[in-house]
Amino acid sequence: MYFDIKGKKVFATTGGKPFDKDQPVVIFLHGSGLDHTFWGLHSRFFAFRKYAVLVPDLPGHTHSEGPSLTSIEAMADWLNDVATALDIDNISVVAHSMGCLTALEYASRFPTRIRSISLITSGLATPVNPALIEAAENRPDVAIAMMLGWGFGTAGHLHQGPIPGNSMLAGGLKVMGGNVPEELATDLIACDTYGSGKLAAEKLRGPIQVILAGKDRMAPRKATAELVSHLHEPEVHVIAGSGHMLPLEVPDECRKLLKNFIFTNNTSS
Amino acid sequence: MSRFYHFDTIALHAGQAVDGEFGARATPIYQTTSYVFPDTDTASSTFNLERSGHVYSRITNPTVGVLEQRIAALEGGSAAVCTASGMAATYSAIIAILSQGDHIVASSQMYGGNISLMKNTLPRFGITASFVDPMDIDGFRAAVQDNTRLIYGELIGNPGLDILDLEAIAEIAGEHQIPFMVDATFNMPYLCRCFDYGVNMTIHSVTKWMGGHGVAIGGVVVDGGNFDWGATDKYPTITEPYAPFSGMNIWEEFGPSAFATRIRCEAMRDIGASMAPMTAFLLLQGLETLSLRMDKHISSTKVLLEYLQAHDQVAWVNHPDLPSHSGHELALKYLPKGAGSIVSFGVKGGREAGKPFIENVELASHLANVGDAKTLIIHPATTTHSRIDAEALVAAGITEDMVRLSVGLENVEDIKADFEIGFRAAKRISDT
Repeated sequence: MYFDIKGKKVFATTGGKPFDKDQPVVIFLHGSGLDHTFWGLHSRFFAFRKYAVLVPDLPGHTHSEGPSLTSIEAMADWLNDVATALDIDNISVVAHSMGCLTALEYASRFPTRIRSISLITSGLATPVNPALIEAAENRPDVAIAMMLGWGFGTAGHLHQGPIPGNSMLAGGLKVMGGNVPEELATDLIACDTYGSGKLAAEKLRGPIQVILAGKDRMAPRKATAELVSHLHEPEVHVIAGSGHMLPLEVPDECRKLLKNFIFTNNTSS
Repeated sequence: MSRFYHFDTIALHAGQAVDGEFGARATPIYQTTSYVFPDTDTASSTFNLERSGHVYSRITNPTVGVLEQRIAALEGGSAAVCTASGMAATYSAIIAILSQGDHIVASSQMYGGNISLMKNTLPRFGITASFVDPMDIDGFRAAVQDNTRLIYGELIGNPGLDILDLEAIAEIAGEHQIPFMVDATFNMPYLCRCFDYGVNMTIHSVTKWMGGHGVAIGGVVVDGGNFDWGATDKYPTITEPYAPFSGMNIWEEFGPSAFATRIRCEAMRDIGASMAPMTAFLLLQGLETLSLRMDKHISSTKVLLEYLQAHDQVAWVNHPDLPSHSGHELALKYLPKGAGSIVSFGVKGGREAGKPFIENVELASHLANVGDAKTLIIHPATTTHSRIDAEALVAAGITEDMVRLSVGLENVEDIKADFEIGFRAAKRISDT
């Protein structure tokens, strides 16, 4: 569906069911350069179990009008604008990579709207290699190849994928390649300059779930350990065989963890 | 790893995870119709595309799935759907996006089955086609109508071997927000990856060079993932709610693989021209050596082109690698490794001399196939293209004396020696 935020057109899928704001809400946030299709094997599951599902394309990504937001703080403000515009509370946020920084910032500033947070493959901050930012600014195809090359584990590189006939890697290349090139650089700079993750994490008090990947080369173990250490009583899981693109690489395991956590902490009728 | 695997490696490994139970290195043949669900929730959610998984082998099968992911990877597409044959792939792809009243602009130089489908069969269901000379770019532009929903062609036309200017046609398709579909059987991704030139989806008869051994019939549709279905209201089968799947909007849910998903949800379910697991296994064996075989096919083709051009009994030789070919410059652009291993030529003495040539060669097999490991020959006017009318025959570049040669992997000196036997028989006719 489409809606307007401050005069800009926003696209979001609702998991194949009409969005019913009176149901508990699950918002899925994608990472740098990606879009709503990242969450296809999770969003429909919740939508068909009496949750109001919202999977937006962040501004400047795929079907949402640009420009991209230039800071994590701005993304958190935008997310709150979305919640206000749609008049939704009781939100479970599920976030991946850059989306996790947005979720941390948003939940720390607008805690009353939040019922639970699920953070997938992220640290407290995401310092970005200058070479990657340079590539994103000047050679986006190279930057996309670098990100997907590091992002996927062996299965991804061998074009395996949970959906029969679909190549996760090629799909990722199409999505990232289809976005306006400068948007990727904007995302990466927003990640690189975000410095409030520790403060935000320490403020959070609601149910928090952290799902990590054993073969993550984008969010290394030291960074994810730091995130966990600053959260209040998080539920932590590590899926050993997955790379950074965990929701795509091991959707069944990921969905099972999300299901147990969200069903417990944000119960639907 | 920040770089991606190369073609040869993908051809061997893509799509296959080593069997977790027994460690089988080869792709197992999952010869099963259906799959046990652990619980009712898994069953219902798999049916409803809330989760991945197999339900019934008409729709998906693990062995077939390996072949699909491997071909998608080789082609650079987001997804692939394998079918019972190349023609099943073409039909499944067309009905995924076209309905009654829609129109196709197609190259006039295509495999006879493609022409017959668009000229005879689809019109019965209200889908019509206009055919355009593949070299006439302005003709493609002029043929586009308000109800045109697809542009279709073959990069290397069968059997005339004209070369379609992919970028020029893609530009026309883009101007009209129409997808551009190419039957890429003759070029395969090893010789040309069509998506790099703006093509939106490809069709392959996997039976041919991909399988390469003449033992199994199969087809595939590959979704380039590069057509913006949502930018136009011309494709409601992709962008409108789909009732059989709870009103799902395929474009919204599946993005770059929306087209492949529609084929899976509709053509495989409602028509069911699916590939058998054993077929997928056989075709995978061939696909593993595609690059090795193609290098040999191409090198032998070059030798035979020289041989045929110099032969007294040959009236003419047609292949895009020859500078005399009208599509030579385009072939250099799109097919730098070589323009395939199909050669057409005329035997001096016309149709009457061609007959003894075909009947007297011994290694070369007289049959209706191409892309086998073995050398094949046929007379198109009386066989593969016999069901199209005289006008279409001319448009397809087929003459009465044309012999179509599919160059095999035998020692090329043995092929030449075999042809000498045929040419001696032909000479006896042409001299009388």
